[in-house]
Amino acid sequence: MKRDHTRVFPEIEEYRELLEIRHLRAKNHFVIALLGIGAVGTVVYMALSAYSASQILPLAVGFFALILVNAACLAYGRENVRFNQLNKYVTTFGVFGLAVAMIFVFQSPSMLSLLFIAYALAAFYQDRKVMFISNVLLLFMFLALMTNYRDFFSVANESLENDLGLFFYVIIFISLLTISQYIMIKQKGFFYNQIAISKETEFRNIDFMIDSCERATGKRIAAKGYFTALSAFAKAVSARIGIEDAFAAKIAILKDLEAGAARDRILADHPELNADALVRLSDLLFTNTHKLRKVALKISRAQAVDVHRREIFSETQFKTFNHPSDSLEIKIVAFAIFYAALKKGTSGMRPLSEKEIYDAIVHTDYYYYNDPGVMRIYRENSAVFDAIARDAFAAEAKK
Amino acid sequence: MKNFLRRVMNSDFLPMNEVRKIKVVLVMAFLLVVTAATIAFAFFFDYSLAVKIVVMGVFALGSVVIFLLVRINRIMAAIHVSIIYTIALTLFYTQGTDSFYAYLFFYISLTVIVFYQELYIFLSYGTIVFGLGFYYILVNRGNLVAATDIPGSAYAYLVLLGIFYAIFLLQSLHNEKIYTDLNLEWVKLNHVIGTYQDFTLFHAEEIRKKSGESPLYEDVAFRKAVDELAVFVCEQLKDRGKDITNVLDLYIYIHERGLPKIIENDELSVATKKIANRLDKYLLNRRTDMVSILMNFHTRFRATEPYRSNRYEYHLGRLAPAYDEQVIALALVYRYLANEPTAFDQWGQPEKTMSHEEICQLFAAPEMEEFLSDGQIAFFKENADLFAEHLGRKG
Repeated sequence: MKRDHTRVFPEIEEYRELLEIRHLRAKNHFVIALLGIGAVGTVVYMALSAYSASQILPLAVGFFALILVNAACLAYGRENVRFNQLNKYVTTFGVFGLAVAMIFVFQSPSMLSLLFIAYALAAFYQDRKVMFISNVLLLFMFLALMTNYRDFFSVANESLENDLGLFFYVIIFISLLTISQYIMIKQKGFFYNQIAISKETEFRNIDFMIDSCERATGKRIAAKGYFTALSAFAKAVSARIGIEDAFAAKIAILKDLEAGAARDRILADHPELNADALVRLSDLLFTNTHKLRKVALKISRAQAVDVHRREIFSETQFKTFNHPSDSLEIKIVAFAIFYAALKKGTSGMRPLSEKEIYDAIVHTDYYYYNDPGVMRIYRENSAVFDAIARDAFAAEAKK
Repeated sequence: MKNFLRRVMNSDFLPMNEVRKIKVVLVMAFLLVVTAATIAFAFFFDYSLAVKIVVMGVFALGSVVIFLLVRINRIMAAIHVSIIYTIALTLFYTQGTDSFYAYLFFYISLTVIVFYQELYIFLSYGTIVFGLGFYYILVNRGNLVAATDIPGSAYAYLVLLGIFYAIFLLQSLHNEKIYTDLNLEWVKLNHVIGTYQDFTLFHAEEIRKKSGESPLYEDVAFRKAVDELAVFVCEQLKDRGKDITNVLDLYIYIHERGLPKIIENDELSVATKKIANRLDKYLLNRRTDMVSILMNFHTRFRATEPYRSNRYEYHLGRLAPAYDEQVIALALVYRYLANEPTAFDQWGQPEKTMSHEEICQLFAAPEMEEFLSDGQIAFFKENADLFAEHLGRKG
């Protein structure tokens, strides 16, 4: 049965992309630096080896143009992230183009490695599309050069063994590079994914905590007291600065928002305010599960955690039912407890339906929280699991 | 095989140790292909037949060792053996033939080493391979250059191998930095989430006690469901399902007695204590991994605000760019911290609010970079008395 995996929280996709772009810019700096070193090295070597200016100039211009495009994309990438994406593809084509140009200029077997270096440079981006382009370019260029310009790569001891070995091991090398890149890209995705999931988990856990606290204690934030104190504070601050109360208008808007007034009415009452500013101000609400309350709760825990470096790479940090050190029996028991608890529900956590559980476990990251064997049994027998749980809990309900 | 390929395709969902295992298996498959090809290429090599047979035997043994190490879950050892195997292959080729293609093995070895994405492995084995390549080029440069080659072409081999090594070294260093930072952020986040869950669990327990329900682990129906589910899965996987009931009994017993007493009990076997220790993280009477996973899983089914681009933004300077809004935000946060309980008090109740001094200390801490702008912190310091007077806790 085919299983399409989705993320446990659909909200995290944009944040994952944001993380990717943030690191992509750092990678671009490395690529520019490496291109710069390559340009200087090539030009110096050619000048010392007495190559003519007509041979040096095109390569120097090629390097310079590629560095310029990189720098421009990096600058425009601040305004529009698509420039960062564009840069990856332009640079990939650019480095392979330069490698081939150098192979033609130098016509030496030693220059074959330039294709591998072009691949390694493009691999810096750790991007699936770049990887695909690099593979195609590397394979195509190698075959085209070996077929049509075999004499570029003629060495002292030509033999059938050498030809066979060269073709076979370059193909093997490209396959290895592809597999290696593919897994590294996936590995990077895992880290971005974990951070994004944790951000969303935190967001939702704060909501969960606030709800359970209000349900257990029956207490809610008294907004009135907050506004009274805030107004008094605002007046005192204004008096100290020596101006009229500069905060009154915004506090009035916040009061209206807190009271649940219609946004159109607030905008009509405050013509100086536009819709965007109103949305921004709504982030300063502090009751229920509003943003500012989340900020305050997060601030209150800022010093509560002290993470030691040795903890960072500890596998035990990863909460799962599939710890390698656990026996199969423990993994089975863990999944059985998890499943039964979801079915039964507890205070604050409603019982979940079989469809909800099945979809979330089989089609999201949670699949990999469990032993593959246990998951296969659940996937193939979810109806049996459901029947066992229903039978057990129905008997209790009848009592 | 199908299952393995599916795991490769979904490796972005897998934790580090699982991905490492996949990497070793892939390298092992690659080495098997190369070793098989080596049998054919060995006919061209300069070694005697006996040496060729012995070396192929050693490679076969190497494959078996990697396979066994993967089976017994000694992944790091398997990684080392697979790299040594690759270097041995490189040496076998470079010493056995003076053909140009043998030089490619230095690139192949470096790619295998960088594949594992472990900095110290790259620094040690990668440097060894680069050193071997350096030596090989110097010794065999006569075989690598063309009759009419560029000036200093032997050095071009050296430089290009060096650049290849340097690019991957740089990539490894950069990845190491990124992953360390991300990992640190992730661990911190998980700890913070744990503190929220401590509160949630406390309140959930209060609600349960008020409703007169028994704890989950004491609930007869729950125990029955767990028992039958576990036996069912066990029977499907291991033919006999009865053994697992002992593990379940122990699981319930830990709830009743507590792990320390079980560990201290001389009548219990070491094996039982070991199982008890491993089961401890799945208990239901405190915030264990099990409780955390259950809570996190449940949050998926809770209604949540629609996504906005600043969903995970907690910096007041960025949430409220206007100066007056920043002051209001800071004042409301202060009021919240001073008046609402945000931590457990000395009696273990979630009733502790922060004093003015504690808030001052908190706002001066370096951790506040994540939440407050320099301007906000300076404003707070200058007007701390007004904060305390108008927004502080009364009574």
